[in-house]
Amino acid sequence: MKPLLEAHGVKKTYRLGQTSVPVLHEASLSVNEGEWVAIVGSSGSGKSTLLHLLGGLDRADKDSGPISFAGEDLRRFSPARENLYRNRDVGFVFQFYHLLPELTVLENAMLPSLVGLSRLAWLTGRRSELRDRASELLDTCGLGHRLKHRPAELSGGERQRVAIARALINRPKVLLADEPTGNLDVRTGGGILDLLAERQAEGLTMLMVTHDQSVAARAHRQVKIVDGRVA
Amino acid sequence: MYAPLLANRYLTSRIIPLIAVGAVALCVALVIIVVSVMTGFLDMVRNSGKTLMGDVVVNYPISGIPYYEELVKEIEALPEAAAASPVVETLGLLRMPYGPTETTQVPGEPGRSAQTVRGRIEFVHVWGIEPESFDRVAGYYDRLYWQKPEEPVASDLATDDPRLDPYYQREAQGRTLRSTRNRDGVVLGIEISQFNERRRDGSYRTPGPNGMQDPDYFMGDNSVTLTLVPISSNAKLGEDQSREFDIVNEVQTGVYSIDSKRVLAPIAAVQEMLKLDAAPLADPRQRDENGRPKIIGTTPPRATSILVRAEDGVSAEVLQQAVTEAYASFSARLRADPTRTLLPPPINAVGIETWEQSLAEIIGPVEKERELMRTLFSIIYIVCAALVLAIFWAIVQEKTRDIGILRAVGASRIGILWIFLRYGLLIGIVGSLVGVLLAWLIVRRLNDIHELIGMPASTTVKVVAWVLVVIALKMLVRGLRRASALQTVCWAFATAALGVIAYRLLWYEGYTVWDPAVYYFTRVPSEVDWDTVQTTVLGGVLFSVIGAAVPAARAADTDPVQSLRYE
Repeated sequence: MKPLLEAHGVKKTYRLGQTSVPVLHEASLSVNEGEWVAIVGSSGSGKSTLLHLLGGLDRADKDSGPISFAGEDLRRFSPARENLYRNRDVGFVFQFYHLLPELTVLENAMLPSLVGLSRLAWLTGRRSELRDRASELLDTCGLGHRLKHRPAELSGGERQRVAIARALINRPKVLLADEPTGNLDVRTGGGILDLLAERQAEGLTMLMVTHDQSVAARAHRQVKIVDGRVA
Repeated sequence: MYAPLLANRYLTSRIIPLIAVGAVALCVALVIIVVSVMTGFLDMVRNSGKTLMGDVVVNYPISGIPYYEELVKEIEALPEAAAASPVVETLGLLRMPYGPTETTQVPGEPGRSAQTVRGRIEFVHVWGIEPESFDRVAGYYDRLYWQKPEEPVASDLATDDPRLDPYYQREAQGRTLRSTRNRDGVVLGIEISQFNERRRDGSYRTPGPNGMQDPDYFMGDNSVTLTLVPISSNAKLGEDQSREFDIVNEVQTGVYSIDSKRVLAPIAAVQEMLKLDAAPLADPRQRDENGRPKIIGTTPPRATSILVRAEDGVSAEVLQQAVTEAYASFSARLRADPTRTLLPPPINAVGIETWEQSLAEIIGPVEKERELMRTLFSIIYIVCAALVLAIFWAIVQEKTRDIGILRAVGASRIGILWIFLRYGLLIGIVGSLVGVLLAWLIVRRLNDIHELIGMPASTTVKVVAWVLVVIALKMLVRGLRRASALQTVCWAFATAALGVIAYRLLWYEGYTVWDPAVYYFTRVPSEVDWDTVQTTVLGGVLFSVIGAAVPAARAADTDPVQSLRYE
């Protein structure tokens, strides 16, 4: 099977004042299309950093190896292409949901599609199309009755479902999830995993960072990171 | 297309931006109120000054312009001029019908008075006028204070108001400058008599000794003595001339400096007193049959000023040009005429000024003061920008995580920048509009507010103030019981502020901010200056965007990973 997302010898060093803190040492990873990969490792091992680099949220060191998506080298992306990549090709789900408190559930779910929407498309009425898609998606996530609510009015599990709907609104090829159940109790977390598994079964490629072995066990494959290296 | 959604939501769902809107609104309102009042004041000075002098003045003080009747006719024939009127202008002393009595004793004979002089002396500015033409130029009849109301209804006037008297003659006497005793009358500026008490609405009451309204106590059959000193063309003082005039009416222009000094008298009487009237002309070199200098002709009467009003639609400058040309030809013609006994001054000796030039010393400082205010208050824009900057800095700080989220879902740096710029723009627009509304409400009600400040506090106000103090105190106690620092601090401030206000109100006697004696006018100008509104709104919006720009750029530079790392 063709790898969709690949990293070869990726390096990332953070600077803390005068000292350099290397986080990733030539980490390599390959994720095939339709695959569910769990990245496991202890706290501070660099698994979230790897996820951020793969999602184009952060840039690797200058002497780092390439990260490629569907054969395209992320290092060669222009800022506009990079934005488009984050908007269309990947979807992010975070441990702390990261919803915008001023927006309703529906608007939060629509946000990536609004970001990618041109003024012309807005004027020609694509907005209502997006609204329909977002409410449909929220419905399948079990939030059809919560569209007008604000995030503060939702439980943790519900918030994460909104975050998942938001990640999926632009039909990305890859879903990048950083501890998606880390802030939830076992039962609620299980529900979230079920939801993600359903989506994955429909062909979504999924890369999930977790330190919870029971969560990782549901993935097709586990990749362990120890001290910034794929073990 | 997420920027408008977010900018609108940020504006409507939080308190901080409302504080920014309030700050911008207050800044904008302050500038508009101050500049509007100054502009209104300037307009009032201009209009009132103009009212009693027409558009253009031809001036030749002291010796005056001879054959002025011909000049008036020639000026009135100009297409640019609507009317012209001669005036004899001088300074004089006015002995009022009230005041201390001074007695001089005969030396060596105690108790025997040599001379008794009664009356307070006022230093006045005398204008000898022709009432009819003066009215056509300067709207004189409308400025007479004692006029018969169109429908004298007792409910509108005090029952003791003299204007309710069917034999009330003041208006007619003022228009002719003749008293009912058929003597020459004078019209005094309304502020000259110390018995005239200005009411808050700008009208006057004239209490007599019994406290009732009694104009007869001051005017009635009373007369004043006017003393003028003729001055010759070579600046020698002549013998002072005193004459008694009946007080026939009073005049109110609204300009304090005019109302407290101006005395209007018939032109012929003033000319006579100043020796500017028609007089026989003697030649000392020739003798008549009695051995006296021979009378060889008559000198014509003279006027020191000619006031000219422009035809509708003609500017004062255009009229000034036309009058200058008319005077030049008048002067040249008469100076070449050997039959004339007196020669009018040449064109370069007379002053021909527009009303604005004549009033420059009054208008100039007010104009400068307004510009100074405008400049000083423009600093407020910087305050406005600084406030928006500080508030936006806090907002961006607070919104760091949101910015990270937006970047994670593909928003560009420009997109983020635009959200906050748009947000600043919205705050500027909404704040400015609220400010305009606030300024409009205040400026329109300025006289009511001023009146309210000028009155002692009513019992209701005092009671309400103390009730509010008690409520605040109660809330303070509740805050203390709940051990809530925020509530305690807020209500402590509220209690202290309300307490001070309520305490001050107990002895508040009213305070007149706009003193008519200082500002000339009885009313505070209360028209919004819409030119200022435009520039102020533009400034408010611009500086709000400038204030938002730096925090917006900082937001655009936010590293998404850093902002999303921790909750």
